[in-house]
Amino acid sequence: MVHSLDPRVGRLPTIGTPGMVVPKVPLDQLGTFEVFVQPKEGKPFQHEGIVHAPDLELAYVLAKETFTRRFTCTSLYVVETRHVYVSPTTEGGVSVAAVLPAITGPDGEPLSFELFMLPKRGKQHVHIGTVMATLPQEAMHRGFQQNLHGGKTVYNLWAVRTTDIRFTTPEEKELWLTLPEKKFRDAAEYKGGDKLKAFLEKQRP
Amino acid sequence: MYGGGNTFEGIKNDGLAQENPEKLAAFEARIARGEKIEPTDWMPQLYRKQLIRMIEQHAHSEIIGALPEGTWITRAPGFKRKMALMAKVQDEVGHAQLLYSAAETLGKSREQMIDDLITGKSKYSNIFNYPTFTWADCCFISWLVDAGAIVNQLANAKGSYGPYCRALDRICAEESFHLKYGHHCVIYLATGTAKQRAMFQEALNRWWPPLMHFFGPSDKISAHTEILMRWKVKMSSNDDIRNQFLDMYVPKIWELGFTIPDANLKKNEETGKWEYTEPDWEEFKRVINGDGPCNKERLEVRRIAEERGRWVREALKSPESAYVMPLA
Repeated sequence: MVHSLDPRVGRLPTIGTPGMVVPKVPLDQLGTFEVFVQPKEGKPFQHEGIVHAPDLELAYVLAKETFTRRFTCTSLYVVETRHVYVSPTTEGGVSVAAVLPAITGPDGEPLSFELFMLPKRGKQHVHIGTVMATLPQEAMHRGFQQNLHGGKTVYNLWAVRTTDIRFTTPEEKELWLTLPEKKFRDAAEYKGGDKLKAFLEKQRP
Repeated sequence: MYGGGNTFEGIKNDGLAQENPEKLAAFEARIARGEKIEPTDWMPQLYRKQLIRMIEQHAHSEIIGALPEGTWITRAPGFKRKMALMAKVQDEVGHAQLLYSAAETLGKSREQMIDDLITGKSKYSNIFNYPTFTWADCCFISWLVDAGAIVNQLANAKGSYGPYCRALDRICAEESFHLKYGHHCVIYLATGTAKQRAMFQEALNRWWPPLMHFFGPSDKISAHTEILMRWKVKMSSNDDIRNQFLDMYVPKIWELGFTIPDANLKKNEETGKWEYTEPDWEEFKRVINGDGPCNKERLEVRRIAEERGRWVREALKSPESAYVMPLA
């Protein structure tokens, strides 16, 4: 039994041996998923980070809790990290377009890919559009050909097959409607100035 | 936000002799230009090792720091305070998620980090090895420990490692309400009954020494960190951050009519630096090495939580799962 001031801690069941740790096996903390958030309607989706989860559905739920409980959000999507194809990273004003080997995909039904570019080192990847291609490298080339990057220097590019993404459904957009009502998370709700001022005035000799 | 002054291992610059000099020069030039280092960029082993250590300590501090505050959720005075404290604790645990992810981009698995926390191999902020006896102790953490952490982490957000800086930017943005909430709680105690004022004064007396420890050992005795500052792993010395905190918050504490339990505390107007009684660094070392009032409890709570959750994680695990290092 753990001795604690907290009665809930005191009630924790005895399990295992105090001080002894069973080393975690690989994947004990499950796989990783990349999270993209759209902060406002009309704004591009932006990479926000990762969550560990057993599958896409739970990754979506955990991403919602981790990345969208505080600030405005209109939509969210997740994709397994291993399904993100990553270009080389460049520097010094050199764009990925200059170092990407020219690849033409095999014949076959083209697939839809989402492209995300890094416009500046240190910033986050942002969604720039959708292209049709048979391979991710080909999708990256097509993105440049179609000028989805708006002529900007691209320091890194990600390509993700659209079908690998867990999107937000129209009904799920309601998830964020109540965010502005959660005033207890709003700094502006904690105004103590008047109380403090009255107190200080009362203290004056 | 709970990350305080970090403890770094003694640094041997001669380890750099094994690094490729051209790559090292390019790495240092990039940092000097103010560019961020990203996970796929070349970096010296020492940079990687010290960053993992720092980010991991920070993540552990968020998880462990949620325990002394979380204890008070059920006993917070009133529904409004309960809602706020619950949201704050949820934020702190969320911050740990962001920080563990940033550390993972450097090649250490989350499994290993959690194991190292529970075995005591990795450290966390020493201040969370002290108990929260009263609601005022909880308010002290919400206001002043968070304030100390914010001073430290606003500086670190300007560091050189991209994923850590991005995590800190997000953390700092989420923190705005924590600080205001903490100050609000303390204003209510300060302007309340004599008993409430006394309760906060007692909390201040208990927590001031650990708070002075929080910014890390004095520059006079801490490991040589010149190279970490050059690489923008560490953005300010421990004493500079401590001084910045004192500058910002001592006047606010005095304004509320409380007495800081250090008769030598005063600002030297000539140097612009605060003078104070040297914190007891022997106690700091003793507590960081496991001999604090709550070390065992904190780690045991984490160990039990991991053990109890094991079957859930096993049940959820898909045979198709694969671990891939996070991208950014």
